[in-house]
Amino acid sequence: MSAKIVHPRLLLSASRLVSINRPSRIISSLTAHVSTRGLASVATADASPRVAAKPRIKTFEIYRWNPDTPQKKPEMVKYDLDLNQTGPMVLDALIRIKNEIDSTLTFRRSCREGICGSCAMNIDGVNTLACLCRISDESSGATKIYPLPHTYVVKDLIPDLTQFYKQYRSIKPYLQRKDPPTGKEVLQSIADRKKLDGLYECILCACCSTSCPSYWWNSAEYLGPAVLLQSYRWLADSRDQFKEERKQQLENEMSLYRCHTIMNCARTCPKGLNPGLAIAQIKKEMAFSG
Amino acid sequence: MPTTRKLTGLQRDVLSLYRACLRQARLKPVETRENFRQFARDEFRSHVDVDRKDFNTIEYLLRTGRRKLETYSSEGIRNIVR
Repeated sequence: MSAKIVHPRLLLSASRLVSINRPSRIISSLTAHVSTRGLASVATADASPRVAAKPRIKTFEIYRWNPDTPQKKPEMVKYDLDLNQTGPMVLDALIRIKNEIDSTLTFRRSCREGICGSCAMNIDGVNTLACLCRISDESSGATKIYPLPHTYVVKDLIPDLTQFYKQYRSIKPYLQRKDPPTGKEVLQSIADRKKLDGLYECILCACCSTSCPSYWWNSAEYLGPAVLLQSYRWLADSRDQFKEERKQQLENEMSLYRCHTIMNCARTCPKGLNPGLAIAQIKKEMAFSG
Repeated sequence: MPTTRKLTGLQRDVLSLYRACLRQARLKPVETRENFRQFARDEFRSHVDVDRKDFNTIEYLLRTGRRKLETYSSEGIRNIVR
């Protein structure tokens, strides 16, 4: 494709293109803007009154359960919100509901930008982060919000992730070396660092593990896609020297081999990672060397 | 506690948790032993009205009870005050 040489004047915006040959017009229009800007704080006579936009009411059905009254069964409670006053994401809606309608609604949240993984929950059947999930249009019916599936519930939308964290700790997610420390940085080539792309970005939100049916049925022994992704992250790290021990830890029936490539994990990851692929690569490494 | 009829699995779990609490109380210093025992008794008694068939609630209470027992078993905790 040949590069086109564009005349610099054509790069100006269309509105200014008209007055290019009449510089005086530009200056006069600029001064006009300056003069009205000075009066911006005063309501001018020609300022039209704000027309109230028609309220777009959206219903949210949210799973509620209170551990202080454990005998009362969990229930779905409906909340109505005007989408015109609410931010675009489901987390904005939850915060508004908590602030304005029902302050007993309980959920985890922190960064509001999809990097901490606190607000992981099941929205309309899909495990995502509430801060990254846009509210669907008010015409598409009520949005159903549940905590992460097949987890013990601490309260309302908060799952109990202690077992998940225990499993993460069990794979020793830190660099292990046999060489004595030299005090200098452990160097890694650019190609080796590229191998970690798609693995290190995991925020441990638990969306993938709680979407895996195999993990639902065997959560005590199967490690789950999130933990196995991190396990591969340390296996693939060229700086780590305990590769054989890490592989030996997975050499049993349950920890790794309960994965049956259901691939719900890759589908639901809110960061776009692929735990299923990482698990397949672990299986390949185990097969060719183990 | 039912009559001499056979205990169900769930009832046995509840009793084993109570027994574990009392055993842990025995490992605490002598002066505060009775506090731990009384705490265990109070916690179990507060939920005496839960229906025998309400498995979800009973299992939830067992889980939280076991977690509390793990926390209070640690060496550093020498007294419990209501």
